[in-house]
Amino acid sequence: MKKNYKIADKVIEVTSIYNGVHEYCKDYLTDEKADFSIEITPDDIKYEKQKSDSEYAYEGLPMPNFSEGLLEETAVYRKIAEKMPDYDTVVFHDSVIAVDGQAYLFTARSGTGKSTHTRLWREYLGDRAVMVNDDKPMLRITDSGVTAYGTPYNGKHRLGTNTAAPLRAICILTRGDKNSIARIGRSDAYDMILQQVYRPKDPLQMIKTLNLVDKLTERVLLYKLACNMDISAAEVAYNSMKG
Amino acid sequence: MKLNSAFLTHDDNGQKLIVSTGASKFAGLVRSNEPAGFIIGCLEQETTLSEITEKMAARYDAPKDVIERDVKNIIDQLRKIGAIDE
Repeated sequence: MKKNYKIADKVIEVTSIYNGVHEYCKDYLTDEKADFSIEITPDDIKYEKQKSDSEYAYEGLPMPNFSEGLLEETAVYRKIAEKMPDYDTVVFHDSVIAVDGQAYLFTARSGTGKSTHTRLWREYLGDRAVMVNDDKPMLRITDSGVTAYGTPYNGKHRLGTNTAAPLRAICILTRGDKNSIARIGRSDAYDMILQQVYRPKDPLQMIKTLNLVDKLTERVLLYKLACNMDISAAEVAYNSMKG
Repeated sequence: MKLNSAFLTHDDNGQKLIVSTGASKFAGLVRSNEPAGFIIGCLEQETTLSEITEKMAARYDAPKDVIERDVKNIIDQLRKIGAIDE
């Protein structure tokens, strides 16, 4: 099965074994000519199975029983993510929300509450807030600025939009009893950002990724937010970050 | 010995970092101070413990046995995360 998808302004021809990935990515279908193509082999699916099994084993969880179609969805995005640094673009693990056309990115260690916090933004700001992507958006990083793009890979609740917005700020989330936010310097944000960016297997693509991360930290505002799960967390964060 | 190809060095405002690529099981980064950064720099090319110790002795004013012990220590730590090809 072969179809073209436009993600982060690039057209990707995806050849798959199963149909599931095409259903998953259908909001991004295009007839335009491909910039590059990827093709999934049984070995790619095997690799994803080994990887998820070993991650579950590391966490001490029972072995997952993901279907090959589901594993293929991940394999497709991995192949796309490997290629995107060629276009000054990286895949990032985070939750991105846009308000009045400007994007705000929240990142944290798994389980901290990124999705919970962006849900509070939607409650606080109503229709002004548009969910760009709740799991794995892309960021295109150029000298003129950073753009956050929605992608089909938007988390288990499928929260996201096929849209793009200039990225104003990156905010590192931590849990707190009270809500407080502060600007932080590049060195305070760098390690977390590097932990959350997709790391290509190809060393050359990884070098490009590192250079893009360097540029990213120089081009956007950086914040650290300690927050609880009350709607006032969104109020504190938005009013500080909106400028 | 040499730094494994699944690990890259990267300069972060003058501090040497070791960052793993997606090909490594280790998914983190190692920050180093200046002497450790120098040792890591040596490991970007094929080298030996005694070669690194010689280079360090030419750079830092310390007894050779102390330098060798420190170099060994850094290499052992890198070995633990799979960053050294023997």
